[in-house]
Amino acid sequence: MAMLAALSSGPVSIDLSAAIAGGWHSDSSDAVILWQLRLPRAVLAIVVGAALGLGGAAMQGMLRNPLAEPALLGVSSGAALAAILVLYYGAAVSGYLLPLLAIAGALLAVGSVWLLAGHGASASRLVLAGVAINAFLSALMALALNYAPSMFAMQEIVFWLLGSLANRGWDQVLLALPFVVIGTVFLFLSRNYLRALSLGEASASSLGFSGRRYPLLVLFGIAFAVGASVAVAGTIGFIGLVVPHLMRPLVGQDPGRLLWSSALAGALLLLLADVLVLNTVGTQELRIGAVTAFIGAPFFFWLIVSGRRELNL
Amino acid sequence: MPLLASGPVSAQDRIASLNLCMDQLLLQWVAPERIVSVTWLSGEEYYRRAPLPEHLYLNRAQAEELLPLKPDLVLTGQYGAQRASQRLEQLGFPVVRIPDAYNLAQLQQQLASLQQALGEIPGLRQQQRELKALLDQTPEDGTRNPGALILSANNITYGDGMLEHELLIRAGFTNLAAQQGIQQLGRVSLEQVIDAQPQLLVFYGGEQDFAIAHLAERHPVLREYIETGRVYRLPQELGFCPALAAVDVLQQLMDKRKEIVGQP
Repeated sequence: MAMLAALSSGPVSIDLSAAIAGGWHSDSSDAVILWQLRLPRAVLAIVVGAALGLGGAAMQGMLRNPLAEPALLGVSSGAALAAILVLYYGAAVSGYLLPLLAIAGALLAVGSVWLLAGHGASASRLVLAGVAINAFLSALMALALNYAPSMFAMQEIVFWLLGSLANRGWDQVLLALPFVVIGTVFLFLSRNYLRALSLGEASASSLGFSGRRYPLLVLFGIAFAVGASVAVAGTIGFIGLVVPHLMRPLVGQDPGRLLWSSALAGALLLLLADVLVLNTVGTQELRIGAVTAFIGAPFFFWLIVSGRRELNL
Repeated sequence: MPLLASGPVSAQDRIASLNLCMDQLLLQWVAPERIVSVTWLSGEEYYRRAPLPEHLYLNRAQAEELLPLKPDLVLTGQYGAQRASQRLEQLGFPVVRIPDAYNLAQLQQQLASLQQALGEIPGLRQQQRELKALLDQTPEDGTRNPGALILSANNITYGDGMLEHELLIRAGFTNLAAQQGIQQLGRVSLEQVIDAQPQLLVFYGGEQDFAIAHLAERHPVLREYIETGRVYRLPQELGFCPALAAVDVLQQLMDKRKEIVGQP
């Protein structure tokens, strides 16, 4: 249903059934709008939303921290910084180089967090390392803004950081999809590890989930999935934070089942946010990162307030 | 603000400029030994359209920078560098404010004002002549006019009341954005571009490196336009200094129209 809403939303009113009937190769402008503009945008929203929801669920499962989201460990910042540096300080970039470099940035960030936290680090040490790396990357991005080659470059960097799905087509979908799939596979492989972790780190290792393999699997899975998303859509926050919380009661607190339900819910949430963006008229494009932040902040309030009530009981 | 009093103007040989467009016009049309200072913007790769002589001082629009240079004419635009130009006026320097041009009539006025300030300059005179010649051509038959649509950075389009719109009209196109009621600037999504089916898609600047602002131009859905040659790219300088590019753009658009209308 959300898909139908997405496909019907847009500045031009099109005859949806005629466009679908026309098929992929039809030349009518309605069909072109549907198949080449609206459909890839909706599909991209689904892919990116799923990647972010999945990454958030995995992050919260591994760190057992309700405030965890992929951005916490610097994944989004690493990818965004790589993209910014390449776009505005590097040479002209060909189509595939940008997402590859963004993913490399995400992997580097994750790798740095891992190195900083040290071998066999506990969840809280990982969080600390993540916050430190994130702070450093944010500082670098502030420098990038400061020394932006022109006002236009500065505006571009800001728009990139706000995230957007506008003007994206099938080429962006095909670019991001393989990496998101790789990340998804990694994360699904680690679902039992996340289940075991909910019993505590000691219990998890006694169950056989000791060593570096599983944490690295989770970290790299998140880096691939979220890195690819940032590469094509810019930084979009709060999906990874909000969605696992919404889904957790529905899956009986099971971190494993939470993975795929967060993926689905993340896809839905981002698609709905994009429908809102498409239906908002204005002189400037409403950036989707702004919409998700607007959803996320009140959700935070609700989290705190409901937590407060529990404590009082 | 009034222009310098009329009367035979002897050639100035210490001209300074506080405005990017004035910089470029001076560098294009006036002998370099007559110029003492232009703004620092003209030193930037992005804005420079004419070679920059070494001896020039690149100013940051501060009166104290121009004082030691003792200019005998200071050119400035309508906006920007207001404090500096007022200060210089108070100190007794001859300051001429050339108004900006937002349509072709104002452009002709701008060139005339420049001529009055600088005296007889061959390059400037030729530009005025060419512009007048193009504008004197009878406009094409309105009913057969092909449709054109401007897709600029960040999905902006130009409607009624903008110089770019007027150039399209004069060249014999219908501006589809203005037809849909857009005044000045408006937003145009790729969907609207496809739906409008312009016969000429006009891009604006952005031929250099990749930029998100120009992401729309790279969308596969526009490939057909690019492959059939139904695109035209307005030069960047049309935005910050129309006097540099308007004549060429108008001529090229007229040629493009002939090309399009000539097609079966």
